[in-house]
Amino acid sequence: MSAISASEKVDGFTRKSMRKAQKQKKSQGSSQFRTQSSLVELSPLPQLKDAPSTEQQDLFTQKLQQCCMLFDFMDSVTDLKSKEIKRATLNELVDYVSTNRGVLVESAYPEITNMVSTNIFRTLPPSENPDFDPEEDEPTLEAAWPHIQLVYEFFLRFLENPDFQPSIAKRYIDQRFVLQLLELFDSEDPRERDFLKTILHRIYGKFLGLRAFIRKQINNIFLRFIYETDHFNGVAELLEILGSIINGFALPLKAEHKQFLMKVLIPMHTAKGLALFHAQLAYCVVQFLEKDPTLTEPVIRGLLKFWPKTCSQKEVMFLGEIEEILDVIEPTQFKKIEEPLFKQISKCVANPHFQVAERALYFWNNEYILSLIEENIDKILPIMFGSLYRISKEHWNPTIVALVYNVLKTLMEMNSTLFDELTSSYKADRQREKKKEQEREELWKKLEELKLNDTALVQNNSHGLQNAQNNNNNNNNNNNNNSNSHDNQDKSTAVGVSTDIQDPDITTATTESTTSAK
Amino acid sequence: MDAFKLMKELKLNYEQEVYYLPRETGLSLIEAATQDDSRISAKCRDAKVEDLWSLTSFFGYSTQTFVLAVNLLDRFLAMMRIQPKHLSCVSLSCLHLAAKVTEEECDLASGDELIRIGQCRFTASDLSRMEKIVAEKLNFKSKAVTALTFLHLYHQIALSHATDRKETLSLEQLEAQLRACLCRIAFSRAKPSVLALSLLRQEMEARRSQDMLEITHHVQRHLKIPDGELLYWCDLVAKCLSDYASPECSKPDHRKLVWIVSRRTAQSLHSSYCGAPDLPTIPEGGWGESESEDSGEDMSSGEESLSSSLGSDGDGTYFPLHLRRHLAP
Repeated sequence: MSAISASEKVDGFTRKSMRKAQKQKKSQGSSQFRTQSSLVELSPLPQLKDAPSTEQQDLFTQKLQQCCMLFDFMDSVTDLKSKEIKRATLNELVDYVSTNRGVLVESAYPEITNMVSTNIFRTLPPSENPDFDPEEDEPTLEAAWPHIQLVYEFFLRFLENPDFQPSIAKRYIDQRFVLQLLELFDSEDPRERDFLKTILHRIYGKFLGLRAFIRKQINNIFLRFIYETDHFNGVAELLEILGSIINGFALPLKAEHKQFLMKVLIPMHTAKGLALFHAQLAYCVVQFLEKDPTLTEPVIRGLLKFWPKTCSQKEVMFLGEIEEILDVIEPTQFKKIEEPLFKQISKCVANPHFQVAERALYFWNNEYILSLIEENIDKILPIMFGSLYRISKEHWNPTIVALVYNVLKTLMEMNSTLFDELTSSYKADRQREKKKEQEREELWKKLEELKLNDTALVQNNSHGLQNAQNNNNNNNNNNNNNSNSHDNQDKSTAVGVSTDIQDPDITTATTESTTSAK
Repeated sequence: MDAFKLMKELKLNYEQEVYYLPRETGLSLIEAATQDDSRISAKCRDAKVEDLWSLTSFFGYSTQTFVLAVNLLDRFLAMMRIQPKHLSCVSLSCLHLAAKVTEEECDLASGDELIRIGQCRFTASDLSRMEKIVAEKLNFKSKAVTALTFLHLYHQIALSHATDRKETLSLEQLEAQLRACLCRIAFSRAKPSVLALSLLRQEMEARRSQDMLEITHHVQRHLKIPDGELLYWCDLVAKCLSDYASPECSKPDHRKLVWIVSRRTAQSLHSSYCGAPDLPTIPEGGWGESESEDSGEDMSSGEESLSSSLGSDGDGTYFPLHLRRHLAP
């Protein structure tokens, strides 16, 4: 493995390139470590298309059973012949199920599900790369993909076959099956997840009895992801499926679904890896709001509650989501959340990170949002005005300044009177602030002067003891201090009283004040 | 300044103002022009003046700068026939000229900045050339007598007369109203003294202050402004101000504005919305067969829901295939 020194681990900026170079390059993983007790070779069976119709059923079953034999793909040289036989057989099975009618007899169902289970249900190997960053690193691909892909393909065709009967299949495609299927969504291989997504989608569609179970298990996965592990590779795919489910919700929405939105989807926005699945998540949220607009207020308040404070990339995503929500919002709902929302937008607009500011300002390019703002200009303009005006003078990025001009001009045209009022009150506020600042400066200056006067007073009026001590110490300090007006004074006023009492506390205090007064 | 001096100053400016009026014939031509490409129309000019106000406000320039800029613009447009495509350049150069004589050095925005924010297509050298042309044609050195001059004078006069009264006349509000009027070319015909006086009078009438109205009468008599003229402009001003103060918003024409965003933001704008997924919608509620889960079930219930969500063959589904044979009844 990589040899990262302890100091590199502490320093947050270890170069990934270095680490990668040190690591052994292995991009394939498979946990199919079930070793056969003996090397079993597959014997090729006759083709299905050549077999007479009476024997086809049996041949089909035999082939299915043959495909239950698993091979180790980590070793790329052994069993090549058998692997090829299995691959060809699987291919044949895919064709057979796709093109023929009447092949799905009742006895075939358990064989099919058994073959599929044997092949795909496996414990996923731990990630090769412990610091796997889904956005940057290449995923570890499944080594046995040549076979597994065909198994998935086969299973999908099986589900989509016109003769498929859920009433029979549900005996075999049960909760345990679905649970194992869901666990596979954690695979790093995106091709596998893509298949799983489509398969689970079909299962959800056809097996009404499993729907509640599937929803519940997905909830569990998400909740574990959000609150416990912060790791799951299949969030985007599951959200895509949920999107099509939410789209089909009946009205009025069930309480269960609303709870799901508030307890799972909204908190999911806090995940670190939001960028991987944000598009799908936003889609789900918007779908919910299109189904039931009364959910707008809790959703927006939820998003505002979880608004990112230190991650600008996330903030940009949140702003994108807010724009999508505003695109479908009803004007009455808008009125309920306009104040807290625009308070946040006003902060975003003034954000020193230019992408955040830009994204927030770009809202004013959206016609529908403009019309909403226009209707509620008397509430919104006072909230936005301060930050807009301030950053028009202070922001470092010229593009932002130009965009702010656009926004201010738009707002001005909406309501000139209010705009003028706000301008003059803003200017008046600034004047007052400036005055206060000046007064503060004056005060500090006065204090400085007073201080100098005070120390002079202290040294002049203090009893001889202190003076003498000062004198003694000043002789020492002469080397350290330049322009010693006070020292000179002391020397001149000091009567030749020499005392040996040296109280260190007093002397240090006075000499310190002497030095600081300079 | 005492009342006597103020009145003297007033008279002086009144005599001067005629030199700073835009040519009537020129203004008529503009007002008569239609919306074609060859001439500047009233609507064109008005829109441009509004832009000038936006820029003034944005850069923090004073009303004086704005009023002066509009004055220069009107005089120039009334004198010279220019093509609409040059209007931005002319108006911006008027603004820059006005800012240079009115604002402090430190508050002055550069020509480049003006052009960038105003989203104009010409260069800084074009701008300075145009400035020279305007200054030359109008023989502009550093000042002009505008409605604002008179407004300030009237305000001071009113203050000096009303020192014992508690009512304060807001100069800022009057300035805002003047700005609103200047955005319409009709008011460019008015003599600045009359326009300012009409504004003052409107304000007094709105406050129903007899004493203040007295002051306007006094000024009118002093300057020998005919009643008819004053009333005419008062009417127009009243109409304009009622539009300005109305709560109705004008729909902003944001086709004019260019929204330039950085490359990264533009990219993320395109890719962020995933749109409709490629998975078809699954409608809720079966086709005859109802879901075994109860609709109002609480998500937090654990094992109970698991067992109750089993399909109609309760015994078969939970147990794996190879075990089932042992358990079959």
